Amino acid sequence: MNTSTENIKVVDHKINYNNLVFYVIDTTNSILNIDHTMGYDALILDASDPEYARIVLKKIRSHYNPEFYLKPVFLLNFKETKDPLLNNMHDGLMTSYDQVVTMSETAKRIFLKTTQLDNQLIPSFEGQTVKKVLNYMYTRDIRTLKPIVDLNSSIGYTYPELSINFTNTEEPQVLEILEWADREGLIWPDFYERVYLCNNCNSGALSYREVCPHCNSSNSKSEDLVHHFPCAYIGPISDFQNNIDNSLNCPKCNKTLRHIGIDYDKPSVIHHCNNCDQNYQDAFIKSKCLSCEDDIDVKYLVPRTVNIYKLTRKGRSAATSGFLSSSQEVDDIFGTINMQTLKIMLHYELEKVKESPAQKTSIALVHLENVFELYNKIGKKGERKLLEELVAVVRENIKSSDVIAFESSSTLYLMLTNTASENAEQKLKNLSALTENLIKKNFNGFKANLLHKVKMLDTDKKAEVQLQELSKDFFA
Amino acid sequence: MDYLDEFFNYISSVSPAKLVRVFWFFFFFEFVRFFLVDFTTVLLWKLTAVFRKQRVREGRNLFWAEKPLISIIVPGKNEGKHIFKLANSLKEQTYQNFELIVIDDGSDDETRTICNSLKKNGLIDIFLSNDVRGGKASAANLGLRYSSGKYIIHMDADCSYDRDAVENIIVPFYYDEKLGAVGGDVQVRNYRESLCASLQAIEYTDTISIGRISQSQLGIYRIISGAFGAFKKDALDSVGGWDIGPGLDGDITVKVRKMGYEIHFEPTAICQTNVPVTFKALIKQRLRWDKSLIRFRLRKHRDVFYPNESFRISNFVSFVENITYSLVLNFKWYFYLIDMVLNFTSRLIFIIPMNFILYTINNYFKFIVFSLFRQRKNVKAEYFMLYMPLMALYFGYFLRLVRTYAYLQELIFRRSYEDSWNPEKSSRQAKSLKL
Ligand SMILES: [Zn+2]
Ligand SMILES: [Zn+2]
Ligand SMILES: [Zn+2]
Repeated sequence: MNTSTENIKVVDHKINYNNLVFYVIDTTNSILNIDHTMGYDALILDASDPEYARIVLKKIRSHYNPEFYLKPVFLLNFKETKDPLLNNMHDGLMTSYDQVVTMSETAKRIFLKTTQLDNQLIPSFEGQTVKKVLNYMYTRDIRTLKPIVDLNSSIGYTYPELSINFTNTEEPQVLEILEWADREGLIWPDFYERVYLCNNCNSGALSYREVCPHCNSSNSKSEDLVHHFPCAYIGPISDFQNNIDNSLNCPKCNKTLRHIGIDYDKPSVIHHCNNCDQNYQDAFIKSKCLSCEDDIDVKYLVPRTVNIYKLTRKGRSAATSGFLSSSQEVDDIFGTINMQTLKIMLHYELEKVKESPAQKTSIALVHLENVFELYNKIGKKGERKLLEELVAVVRENIKSSDVIAFESSSTLYLMLTNTASENAEQKLKNLSALTENLIKKNFNGFKANLLHKVKMLDTDKKAEVQLQELSKDFFA
Repeated sequence: MDYLDEFFNYISSVSPAKLVRVFWFFFFFEFVRFFLVDFTTVLLWKLTAVFRKQRVREGRNLFWAEKPLISIIVPGKNEGKHIFKLANSLKEQTYQNFELIVIDDGSDDETRTICNSLKKNGLIDIFLSNDVRGGKASAANLGLRYSSGKYIIHMDADCSYDRDAVENIIVPFYYDEKLGAVGGDVQVRNYRESLCASLQAIEYTDTISIGRISQSQLGIYRIISGAFGAFKKDALDSVGGWDIGPGLDGDITVKVRKMGYEIHFEPTAICQTNVPVTFKALIKQRLRWDKSLIRFRLRKHRDVFYPNESFRISNFVSFVENITYSLVLNFKWYFYLIDMVLNFTSRLIFIIPMNFILYTINNYFKFIVFSLFRQRKNVKAEYFMLYMPLMALYFGYFLRLVRTYAYLQELIFRRSYEDSWNPEKSSRQAKSLKL
C-alpha cells in the first residue's frame, strides 16, 4: 500500500489513491449534471465558492440513487458558513489534496457500511424517504436528527439529513415525514422548540405586530394615559407636555406634575391609529406571512413542535434489515379495507374456491409509480383527496363483493371475485386508463404512471404468502 | 276617646294667630317654600306652556335639521353586566346619531371582556379602560377627552331611558342658546321592591322632579343628576370637566353656572333608576349627598357669595336658597323643637300629632295636585296613596336626622375626604389641597 503523499496528483479531475479514485469537482464542472461522477469512489468538492458547492452537494445528496446520495463527499477549501447543509452533509474537510490519505480511510468505512444496507423498497413516499435517510445515517454513524436554525428554511429550522431531499419551502413536509417515522416507531421525539406557521402556506417566516382593531393598520402611536389626582383630569401624556422643557403641566389646572403615585399616575396606555384616527387600548396582534403576505390573527397560526429525534432500536436496525410500514393513514379511506382484513378475507375466499373449483378469483396489485412527485406538490390533504377519488373510480368498476386495500399511499391491492386472470387483466387496464385520466383532469395535467400485476388465487398457498409473492414479483 | 276629644277641643279652640305661633315652622318655612312657591311656579309653568310650545317646536325642528353628534359617556367600575342592556336599549332611541363611550374605571370582574366584545359587535363606539381605579370624575373626564360630539350626555350604566329621552334632553339647547346643561327627570324603577324604595319613589316624584321644575323656572336649579344629564361640550371643556367627588353632579352644575350658562330641567327626558332598597344603603347614600353640600357649597364654591366679576344674582340666590333650606332650616327645626318643649310642654301631646296631620294633609294635597302636572308617570299615583302618611316621618324625621348627622360630620371632621367612593390617592390630594 502506497501511503506517501508525493504520488498525490490531480490528473484530469481525478486522484488515484489507495485503490480509490477521487473525483474533484470545481467551478469548471457544469453544475447542471452530476451524472459524470458516476463510478468514482469519492468526490472532492471545491467549496471556495459556497454557493456553487451547495448546489452540487444538494444535487448529490438528494439524488434518489444510493450510488450518488451515499457517496463520500469531501469539501476542499471550506470556509466557515452558516449553511446547515454545507456544514453537515459532507464527510470531511480538506485544505490540501494531501489529505486524501485520511479521507480514504473515511471513505472505506462508509463503503463497508454501505454493503451492509438492505435494499428493500418501501412502497410509500414517506417510507422511501425515511429509508434513504436511515441509510445515510447508518453509513455515517449518525444517531439523532437534530433541528438546526436555518433562515432559509420556511419554518426556521432544518434537519439537514432529511431536509436535503426537499426545497426550503417544502420544509413543513419534513415535519410530516418525521411524524410519520415517529408513528412507525423508527425515531423517538424529544421536545426542542415550538414554531408557528402560516395557516395558508405553512411558512414560519412571520412578522408579528400590534395592529389597530378597526383597520388592521400597524401605523400607530402609543401613549401613556396620565391621571392628575387633584383635578381628576385624565388624558394622554402629550396633553401634559410642552415645547419648552421636560416638565409635565396639567392642561386643566395648570399645576406641574410632581411625583408619580402622589399627585398623578399612569392608569393605562392608549394607542392612536394614524391610518383611521381611532383610539384603542386592546390592540390585536397579527402576524404577516412574509411568504404569502396573508395577515393572520395569531390565534389561527398553526403551532408545530420541532423535536430532536433519536433513532429507536427499530430505527437503528431498519437500515440493515428493512422495516415494514403500516398503512394507517390510508386505512380509513371510504370503500377500502385494511391489509389485515384483506388477508382474512382472502383466507375465506380460498376456502370457498377450494370447495367450488369452477370459481376463479384474482388478486391484483396497483402501484402509482411517479405519484410522489405529485404528493410533494399537493401535500397531505391533496394526497388524501386523490386517493379518495381513485377509490371511488375503482369501486364503480368492480363488483360489490370485490375489495380494495391500501398497502401504502402508492400501492393498493384488489381482490376480484369470480374473475379469471385474463378478465382481471383487462379490467385493470381499463381502470388504469380511467385513473390516469382522473388524475390528469384533477391535478393540473399531471401524468401519473399506473402499473399493475394480476395473479390468480392459488388454492395451494396461504393467502399471506400469495400477497407477498405478488409484491415480490412486482417490485423485483 | 278622651284624648281625641281633648285633641279636637284644643285644635278648635286655638285662634289662627296661636296656630301660627305653635306651628310656625310648618307655616313659615315648609309650607311656603315647598308648597306655595313650588305650586305657584309649577302652575305658572303649566299656564305658560302654550307660549313655549311654538319655541320648543322650532327648537326641535332645528335639532333634527342639524342632527348633531352626541357623545354618551358611561363611566363606572364593574358595570359590565349592565352595559349590555344599556347599549341594547340605546339602539331603541328615536335619535341615533350618537357615539357610546364606555369607561371602565379599574374593574376587576368581567367588564373588560364584555365591553370589548360589545365594541367588536358595534354596540359600543369607544371603550377605554384604566388598569387602576381613578374615581368616577376621572373616568368621566377620560370619556370627555376622547369624545367628539357637540353635546355630551352623562349616563349611569344601571339606568334605563325612555325612547325619546336622548332627543328630549338635547332639544332645549336648540330653543335656548344660553343653556350650558340640561338635566333629565330621574324616576324610580324598583319602587315595588321595598318600603324604603316606595318612599323614595314618592320623594323623587314630589321633591325631586317637581322641585326641579320649579327650581328650573326660578333659575336656581343646581343639581343635574349623574344618571341623566346633558352638557354642551364647549361648556364642559371650559370648566375642565368633572372634579373630584363625591357630589360631582352638583359640583359640575355649579361650575357650568359660574361660567355664565343657564341650566334647565327637562321633565320629558325620562330616565329610570334603581334606588337603594334598604334603609341602611339609603342612609349611606344620603350621608354622601348631604356631606357634599357642605363641602361644595360652603367650601369649594363659597366665592358665589362674593361680589366679584363672576358674581351672578341667580347663583347667589340658588346657593342661599339651598343653604337656607337644607342647612339652616335643618338646624332651625331643632330650635322649633326646643321652643315647643320649653313653651308648650303640656300641649306637646297635641302638637306632635297635629304637626303630623298638617304635614300629611300637605303631602297628599301636593302629591295629588302635582300628579296632575306630570305628563308621564311610571306608576299610577294611587299606588302611593297608602304610603303617604309615612312620608311625614320619612321627610320630617328620617331624612332630617341623616342630614344632621352628615352636616355635623362634614362640618367638624370633613369626613367626605375619607369616603371610599374615591380612591384613596385622590382623596388625599383633595384634602391637602382643600378642594
Ligand atoms: Zn385604524
Ligand atoms: Zn390638574
Ligand atoms: Zn403564508
